[in-house]
Amino acid sequence: MTMVAIVTITVSLTIFGFFLLSIINMGNIVGTFASRLDLVAYTSKDLSLEDAAAVQLKIGKLPGVEKVEFTSKTEAWKKFKGDFGSKLALEEIVHENPLPHTFAVRVRNPDMLPMVAKSISDLEVIDEVRYSGKLIDQMRSMVGAVRAAGIVLVVLLSLATLLIVVNTIRLTVIARETDIYIMKLVGATNTFVKWPFIIEGIMIGVIGGIASFIILKLFYDSVVMQISAALPFLPVVTDQRLLWFVYLVMTLTGIGLGMLGGYISVSRALKNEP
Amino acid sequence: MIELTNVSKTFSSGIDALHNISLTIGKEEFVFLVGSSGAGKTTLLKMLYREDIPSSGKVVVDRVNVAELNPDQVPYLRRNIGVVFQDFKLLPKRTVYENVAFALRVTGAPRSTIRRKAMQALELVGMLRRVSSFPNELSGGEKQRVCIARAIVNNPPILLADEPTGNLDPTTSWDILQLLDKINKRNTTVVVATHNKSIVDEMKKRVIELDGGRLIRDQQLGMYNV
Repeated sequence: MTMVAIVTITVSLTIFGFFLLSIINMGNIVGTFASRLDLVAYTSKDLSLEDAAAVQLKIGKLPGVEKVEFTSKTEAWKKFKGDFGSKLALEEIVHENPLPHTFAVRVRNPDMLPMVAKSISDLEVIDEVRYSGKLIDQMRSMVGAVRAAGIVLVVLLSLATLLIVVNTIRLTVIARETDIYIMKLVGATNTFVKWPFIIEGIMIGVIGGIASFIILKLFYDSVVMQISAALPFLPVVTDQRLLWFVYLVMTLTGIGLGMLGGYISVSRALKNEP
Repeated sequence: MIELTNVSKTFSSGIDALHNISLTIGKEEFVFLVGSSGAGKTTLLKMLYREDIPSSGKVVVDRVNVAELNPDQVPYLRRNIGVVFQDFKLLPKRTVYENVAFALRVTGAPRSTIRRKAMQALELVGMLRRVSSFPNELSGGEKQRVCIARAIVNNPPILLADEPTGNLDPTTSWDILQLLDKINKRNTTVVVATHNKSIVDEMKKRVIELDGGRLIRDQQLGMYNV
């Protein structure tokens, strides 16, 4: 019976942790893209340093523009090779720098994007303007929805887990009812009687917490490796401190659930008093 | 030591288990509580260690008004009252020693004290040689001795016995009662509920008789029947 409770806690915590990690990652991705790509303007025409500076100034003066950054095609190519060169065999694919000059523009207000984009694309020197405002909004609301669904799921899971832990321990309590009765006849206080059961709950929580942590860590590490290889531009969270924080939260939740479950079930059993 | 004043108990089913009982039992007395089955002996005893509370009336044990006790206080009351039952009520998965020691463990006594007192109690009842045995390995008489050891290990001023010889043969029953008598002579108030006629007649102690929940006789040096 205890195995059932442990397995349940493990499953619940793993799902909980999985959701936590997913949401963190999604938030991170959205945040990264949002700040990188408010608006990008491209030109493949040859620009001297002075020309580029002049264009940068012009764009900077447009209403609604907060910041303009210029990346020359040479710089961009260098960075690209640095980021991905090890993962793709670039020399076999391209022999010439295919990248354009880039002006990365940050606007004060997302609503101004369309207007600013038009103003910039009106400039002769600019070939193309791209902004992904719509995409960002969609991603943001998707993350919001997933987060909401995740919270609901986690709450339901916690309740279900708590119920199972309470029930498991209640079975133990019932099995030991005679013992408890005798203990009380001999003068044991309620607290004295309760402790073993609370500890049993904690043990269930600890084991479940550690098991789910191991499962999740193995899973996450391997998934991160695979995603980084397949989609290298995706900023997957690898900050160890953040990850360990998530694992810690999971384990503590497990212990908390276990302890609470133990306490509830033994308190209920002790309530049948004259 | 024990004082009942107009104690009545009616169960929710409507049964009148005790009706207006008043009695006083002094320190170090030995009292037989007799009466046929259903007379109210067990119900009366339960009032004393607060396994149940009276519907009306007052129960005072060792100067404590038992019914008015806060539930948190009940364990402390029970550490001062040893109870012995017909069906023993030993912890089946613990040894003889552990069963007796448990009554001390609940008080938070240090291990050395527990060991000393438990062994003393077991010696008094003559069960020193069986300390590592489990209840299911003992005879009825041996089990009851262990129960008695557990009941007195905290040196309580009161010892209650509810039909202690109900499951025992006549010779063993006699031995058990002698043990209770010995304990009484060591300054413990003893109340024994029983319908063991021959033993009551032999021992000539104070006899309190119940019938249908009423106290009908209270006699020093009494016999089972008048």
